[in-house]
Amino acid sequence: MGFSVSGSAAIVFAGMFIAFGMFHTATTNGFERVSEAQEDRTDRTLAQQNTAIDVTSATWDSIDGELTVTVNNTGASSLAVSEVDLLANNSYVSGYATSVDGDSETDLWLPQEQLTITVASLNDDPGRIKFVTGTGVADSTTTEVV
Amino acid sequence: MAGVSASHLIIFIASMMVAASVVGVFTDSVGQLSNAIEDQGVDVSSDVRSDIEIISDSGSSAVYNSSGNDNITLHVKNTGSSTLPARGDQIDVLVDGMYQTDVTVTLLGGADTWQQGEVVRIAISRQLNPGDHRVKLIVNGDEEVFEFRT
Repeated sequence: MGFSVSGSAAIVFAGMFIAFGMFHTATTNGFERVSEAQEDRTDRTLAQQNTAIDVTSATWDSIDGELTVTVNNTGASSLAVSEVDLLANNSYVSGYATSVDGDSETDLWLPQEQLTITVASLNDDPGRIKFVTGTGVADSTTTEVV
Repeated sequence: MAGVSASHLIIFIASMMVAASVVGVFTDSVGQLSNAIEDQGVDVSSDVRSDIEIISDSGSSAVYNSSGNDNITLHVKNTGSSTLPARGDQIDVLVDGMYQTDVTVTLLGGADTWQQGEVVRIAISRQLNPGDHRVKLIVNGDEEVFEFRT
């Protein structure tokens, strides 16, 4: 009788130990995964809060058929030129030339620098443009014909 | 005396079997629960990492019917940190509260997948009367609302 009780108790304890190990691994992994995602979201929100832009001008050159947009980085975070998007009258524009304070090679758009975008692929004055940064912060304006 | 030993042995074996079956059921249940918790962790982290932004110009008159075939054209940017499915059947679209099934999603800017920072064009085939309208997009649990006028 004594062996039966202690033997089965040992089996039950061993089983509970294994079960706790499985449960602990699963909860720790899940918790870590969610914490990492939340940290990531906090970082993204901080970058978004530190982003501010100002579209200073959008001009349509009716002679050359060129749209030129100048945008100032008035925030505190550095932005990537490759991540910005331009919509001309709700139509997505790609394949344009960019320059940051005269540098057409750089991908970094630092605070207080001016980004100039020159679009040569449009046929007509779009009338209005919307400029969007990588973090989703956007500004829009109407074009001025020169 | 031999009878007592035999009955003790039988009770011992029976108790071992009962304990083993109890442990088996218990660990199996905990194993299933652990898998469910792990799956939920993956789902929740995926939801938290998903973030989209409708970047369309709501002030533009080209949101609706720009190509002349009663389409609503929206541009949506992936501002989260996970790659999202750029397929019409993976994105829930509601126009004025009505679920839409005729949705075409196109990746823009030469992208192969809808990664962070990439933009897709969503064309929703739907006839609208003049007035105020709202479109709701749901991708991976992230909801965005876009309001415009026709």
